[in-house]
Amino acid sequence: MAKERRVKGEWKRLSVQAAMFLLQNPKLQNFFLGTIDTGKTKVLCAPGLNCYSCPAAAGACPIGSLQSALSPQKPKFPFYVLGFLLLFGVLFGRWICSHVCPFGLVQDLIYKIPFPKKIRTFRGERILRLLKYAVLLVLVIGLTLFDTLVPYFCKYLCPSGTLFGAIPLTVSNPMLRGQIGLLFWWKIGVLALLLLLSVPIARPFCRWLCPLGAIYGLFNRFALLGMIFDENRCVGCGACETVCPMGIDPKGQVDSAECIRCGRCIRACPTGSLARRFGFASQAHKKSTM
Amino acid sequence: MKRTTRILLFAALSVLGAAFVLIGAFSGQALAVLNKAIRVCLECIGIG
Ligand code: SF4
Ligand code: SF4
Repeated sequence: MAKERRVKGEWKRLSVQAAMFLLQNPKLQNFFLGTIDTGKTKVLCAPGLNCYSCPAAAGACPIGSLQSALSPQKPKFPFYVLGFLLLFGVLFGRWICSHVCPFGLVQDLIYKIPFPKKIRTFRGERILRLLKYAVLLVLVIGLTLFDTLVPYFCKYLCPSGTLFGAIPLTVSNPMLRGQIGLLFWWKIGVLALLLLLSVPIARPFCRWLCPLGAIYGLFNRFALLGMIFDENRCVGCGACETVCPMGIDPKGQVDSAECIRCGRCIRACPTGSLARRFGFASQAHKKSTM
Repeated sequence: MKRTTRILLFAALSVLGAAFVLIGAFSGQALAVLNKAIRVCLECIGIG
């Protein structure tokens, strides 16, 4: 059975992901109470795709909040949510995807299940990757703004809401369970498909569909936390490309909007050609392993 | 991307981001986010 290729130090990132999950979802007792948190911390947007209807969530989902702010009922420019997205993006870019987002963590864990042939990428995937921009422009912004009061992304697509909100709440709350209908099963189907796909392909939702990843990717080039590549050190062995979960070639693509800054390529490179960038350097090389 | 461009973009967007959060907070948008976040979102959980 083919396993995910091992890269040293992966447990460190997993620990950060677990800690970030708990930080964003500290009210674990609510999973048993069938209710959600109503604390004041929910005035703050969470950095990752963290459903505010997850019983344990202590923050607001930035995409859900954006859709709600764009609702034609209250036609205002969504300063507050966009402000959070700008700040998160400019500081961290897609590092949030690899270290903070709970749904990223779930997909990472599922991808660890052995499978005969793990798929790095395939012909035509480039087009599929553009879908996430369509999801952002059409489902999250367009339809919400111009059509109806329905938060289309949350209602029909978001698998994070289904996994962390719908399932625990309907299991522990009989009143909500009594209202289950076709829509619920549609959402379960979408979630199941994405989780199944996560066994052979790393992070299918992040690659193809996530509007939050699409937003953060736009900041990768100039976010405070980035990456640098030193071509003078590179011997062209391809180790970085082989371990990249997003199926990109880090050499010459370190600023790609697809890179989630997981750092696997940095740790796999035998010559230290890739490194994290903390700040604004474009060339200077610093060896980093985290 | 050049270092100077990076610095300029970072500075401009951070200031803009912070300003947006403040404007939003003082115009009641923060409260709207809180009000939405503390109620079960029926669409999110597939029953609305
Ligand atoms: S792409 Fe979306 S779901 Fe994936 S880790 Fe980033 S924010 Fe989370
Ligand atoms: S290029 Fe490197 S840091 Fe970016 S996603 Fe691929 S392995 Fe992770």
